[in-house]
Amino acid sequence: MGYIELNVLNNETTTVAMGIDLGTTNSLAALWQDGRPVVIKPDGKNGKIPSVVQFPGPNAIPLVGGKALEQAVVDPRNTIFSIKRLMGRGLADVQDDLAAFPFPVTENVRGLLQIDVHGKPMTPQEISSLILMRVHDLACRAMSGNEVVKAVITVPAYFDEPQRQATRDAARLAGIEVLRIINEPTAASLAYGLDRRGEGTVVVYDLGGGTFDVSVLRIEDGVFRVLATSGDTHLGGDDLDRALIDMIRGELSEQLGPDELNDPAFLQAAKLAAEKCKVELSAHPRADLHLMVPDRRVSFRRTISREDFEAAIAPLVERTLDACRLALSDAGLTNSDIDEVVMVGGSTRVPAVLKRVEEFFGRKPHTELNPDEVVALGAAVQAHVLTGGNRDILLMDVIPLSLGLETMGGAVDKLITRNSTIPCQSTEGFTTHVDNQTGIDFNVVQGERELASDCRSLGRFKLTGIPPMPAGMPKIAVRFHVDADGLLTVSAKDESSGATASIEIQPMHGLTDAEVEGMLEASFANAQADFDARRVVDLKAELETMLRVTEKHLTTAREHLDPESLTDLEDAVRSGKHAMTLNDPREIQTVRDGFERATLPLAALLMDSVAKSALAGKKLDEV
Amino acid sequence: MPECPACHAPLETPLACGACGALIEVEGESDPFALFGLARGWELDAGELKKRLLRFGRMMHPDFYAAAGDAARELAERNTAALNEAHDVLANDFRRADWLVRALGGPTESDERQMPQAFLMDVLDWNETLDDARGAAPGSAEIRALDELGETLSSERGEAFVRIGALLTPLPDPGSDALGRLRRELNAVRYLDRALRELKSLRLQHASTR
Repeated sequence: MGYIELNVLNNETTTVAMGIDLGTTNSLAALWQDGRPVVIKPDGKNGKIPSVVQFPGPNAIPLVGGKALEQAVVDPRNTIFSIKRLMGRGLADVQDDLAAFPFPVTENVRGLLQIDVHGKPMTPQEISSLILMRVHDLACRAMSGNEVVKAVITVPAYFDEPQRQATRDAARLAGIEVLRIINEPTAASLAYGLDRRGEGTVVVYDLGGGTFDVSVLRIEDGVFRVLATSGDTHLGGDDLDRALIDMIRGELSEQLGPDELNDPAFLQAAKLAAEKCKVELSAHPRADLHLMVPDRRVSFRRTISREDFEAAIAPLVERTLDACRLALSDAGLTNSDIDEVVMVGGSTRVPAVLKRVEEFFGRKPHTELNPDEVVALGAAVQAHVLTGGNRDILLMDVIPLSLGLETMGGAVDKLITRNSTIPCQSTEGFTTHVDNQTGIDFNVVQGERELASDCRSLGRFKLTGIPPMPAGMPKIAVRFHVDADGLLTVSAKDESSGATASIEIQPMHGLTDAEVEGMLEASFANAQADFDARRVVDLKAELETMLRVTEKHLTTAREHLDPESLTDLEDAVRSGKHAMTLNDPREIQTVRDGFERATLPLAALLMDSVAKSALAGKKLDEV
Repeated sequence: MPECPACHAPLETPLACGACGALIEVEGESDPFALFGLARGWELDAGELKKRLLRFGRMMHPDFYAAAGDAARELAERNTAALNEAHDVLANDFRRADWLVRALGGPTESDERQMPQAFLMDVLDWNETLDDARGAAPGSAEIRALDELGETLSSERGEAFVRIGALLTPLPDPGSDALGRLRRELNAVRYLDRALRELKSLRLQHASTR
């Protein structure tokens, strides 16, 4: 009671929200501080958290980030990386990736991907949630206990509905409230503050660790409109590394057999060596590609020139430009219509990439901000907007892929076409094909192809309860609504009876609500340690507020309190301050509860005086 | 002009009030012209439409209601979706004409499947050019023929819309013969769009296999 009343009087509650770039290779969080977005850099490091999770044993707490990455060579079987590639996908979608994964990926009967970790199946959503928890934890610490549970999370522009949904579910599992899911290139243009340029057309070229996206944006009067997006979900820094890995594997193919060349530990070591070499080549004309796996008697050393590397990656760079052409053509524009080009993603540091992009667009791209941080910074800007901090910016995003229903002949009836501004909606009429038909089956699909079998099925639903009528008589209106996060809801209305039905689509490669709830329960039971740490942060934040408010009011209210209450309260303040140095949540909780009791008389006094001033000058019968 | 139920100011759009900022629940209004406060007709000032989209978007976008509670946020979602849907119809010549033909009680594409007679002979020629280009070698005469075909199709499309515009200005009476002719012209545009899409993908294939 006492605490709640004190909180009523405390108008200083601030809503803090973070921006999270949940990347394939690295993840990063940024917060709005002192009028600008700032990347959270724990321990003075660069703030990047490798999107890697390692599971040391069946019941051990998983390692996340740099510590997990260090284990990649030692324990490749239980070190999960590039999990973003598996989010919301089915086994058939990720065949290309499986060869590069030293951990086994399977699909359950519902089409949900699973990774077996020490005998326990883990979904990509759960593994991503561990990365998000780590990011969140760092943000909480950066805010010194201030509660940061809301976030804007970015996804590649090409992410389809199940992939966006999977991202949202991962956040839910991590205990984060998602304010909005936005496209990475869109976030990047927010970070560069391009809304301030008044009017212009911008291309965002984002070559990240695992994905390539290009977006064409139109900016007018602070409104961002994505005109078109294109890209390749399988093109990024990982593929640049793979060009070097293939070089190593090619040269070692005489010394080593195929089993050894595909050995997980070997592949991990090769990946690390390739990455290191690539980074050096961005700054130097030549670099060593050096690989040693002692227990497999492999030692490889070669000097790679920038020219060698550029020749090896040239086809990859050209593929990015093909996607740029497609995006421009979708937007109905040509290279010369583009006013600015923004570079995003660590791979844009590669000089060959920068050079070709500059040639292609005929202008110098923006590289002022750290290309690794741009997306997280922009997400923090949007988080600031969504918590009411800024009404000047309005982001109008588009849906990347068309949504439709399968028709009788197996074709697709598109209800919402790609690049429609979200939120959006569309309604389509359906009817029965045989007399007295009381149900219709629908298959919801996403994609650009003409045949439903070539598109991604998001799920099926059956509309039942149609009154028996001659074929063609019933009028069923099916309505698609895509919300501002790009997530779809479907509802149907029988116009003859007026009955409406909201349809729960069984997600194809996603989690049901019940599964998310179940995982949440399980994770709370397992991760007592994490929970305790969070609780300590929460309790201290709460206690700090209570202390501040109490001390503030105690100076004026002191003489109105009875001596006994005053002594109790002063004792409580002392033990409260001491509790700020403790680390056991139970101890802090006890102090907090005692503090709350001690503040009751003060709270009552304050409430009383508030009530008196509010009612001053009114007669009793007017109250 | 309708007025705001909250502050009685005149409304530019039935979805929200520019004066007091109130979001307004609209049941079953699907006339895109009404949602944009514009007179129903073929001629449309594209600049004005865009200006209204941006101005109205600022009044009701869910981003500004993220902290406003579920009911307000959902209404903002619905109204912005309705606004965007209406904009997509109005900004697209085909969809705008299609909407007008339907609203005037004209035939749908399943009621009237024909294209204008004069158009049919050309269609056979064009289909042949596209067929020949499929599987042809880069740089061959078949592929070069696509450039000319693209220009022809685009100019045919432009001419079709001139005829459509003339038939829709002023708006024909419900039930008049003009509506059937409009539907046939629209069917021709649908064909042209499909052919242009295919042409684009054929050209892109060649661009990326260079």
